[in-house]
Amino acid sequence: MLANQLQEKHCIQRLKAGDEAVFRALYTRHNQPLIRMAATIVNSRATAEEVVQETWMAVLKNIGTFEGRSSLAGWIFTILINKARTRARRDGRSVSFDEGGEDDNLSTAFDGHGRWKAMPELWDEITPERIVAGRGLAEHMRMAIDALPPAQRAVIVLRVQQEFEPSEVCAILGLSDGNMRILLHRARLSLRATLAKLL
Amino acid sequence: MLSCKDIADRASALNDGELSGWDALQIRLHLAMCKGCSRFVAQMRATDQLAARASDPGEPLEHEADDRRLTEILSTLRKEQSRH
Ligand SMILES: [Zn+2]
Repeated sequence: MLANQLQEKHCIQRLKAGDEAVFRALYTRHNQPLIRMAATIVNSRATAEEVVQETWMAVLKNIGTFEGRSSLAGWIFTILINKARTRARRDGRSVSFDEGGEDDNLSTAFDGHGRWKAMPELWDEITPERIVAGRGLAEHMRMAIDALPPAQRAVIVLRVQQEFEPSEVCAILGLSDGNMRILLHRARLSLRATLAKLL
Repeated sequence: MLSCKDIADRASALNDGELSGWDALQIRLHLAMCKGCSRFVAQMRATDQLAARASDPGEPLEHEADDRRLTEILSTLRKEQSRH
C-alpha cells in the first residue's frame, strides 16, 4: 500500500511535469474502463468515446490543480462521470444511479425454510480462455456485464474491475454505502446466474 | 441458525472480507456443514474473478483505436504547450 502511494505520488509529479510516457501508461490502463463507464450513462458507444476523449483533455489541463484528496484514478473517473452526465442531460437522458434495479434472481432458489431447492453445481476450470457455447468465458462475462442495468454495471466496473475502495465508489457515483452494496451484490448474483446457465 | 438463504445474502460481504467476529463464525460453521452453500460462495468468488479479468484489454482493433486517440490528445497538448 505504501509502495503504491509512493508510486502514485511519483506518477502525479511526472504528469504535472508533462511526462508523456507516464500519461501514455495511464491512458492505456484506464481508457477502456472509462469508455465502459461512460457507456452506462450516455446513449451510445461513440458518444462514450467522445466523452472519454474530453475527459483526458481535462485531466491534462487540470492535473496542476489535483491535490490528491482522492486517488488519481478516482479523480479521473469523477471528471468522466460529470462530463457524461452533462452530455446525457443535454441529450435528454435521465442520469441517476440511485435505483436499486430489479429484485435478485435467487428468490425462487430456496424452499420455505430457506434451504436450497437444488444444490448449486461445483464449478471447475473457470478460466477466461475456456470456450463454452462458442465463446471464451471472458467474452460471455463481458456481454453479461454489458447487459446489467446501468447502476449495477457502474459498480462492477469501479469496485470489481478497477478495485476502488467502497468509499471511493460511493463518492464517484454519488451513492450511499448501503445502496452501493445492494447494487454490487445484485450485479454479482446476476452474473453468477448467467454463468450457471452456461456451465 | 442461519439458513442457506441468509448465507447467499451475505456471500458478497463474506467474499469481500467484510464480516468479522460472531457473524463470520456463524457463516463458517454453516459452510463447514453445507455443501450447497460452500459451492455457492465459491461460485460467487469465481464470478468475481472472471468479472475482474473480463476488463483485460479486448481485441487488437480496440488497441488501434486507442492508439489513434492517444496520438490526437498528445498532439493537441503539444500545440497548446507551444502556444504558451
Ligand atoms: Zn446452506
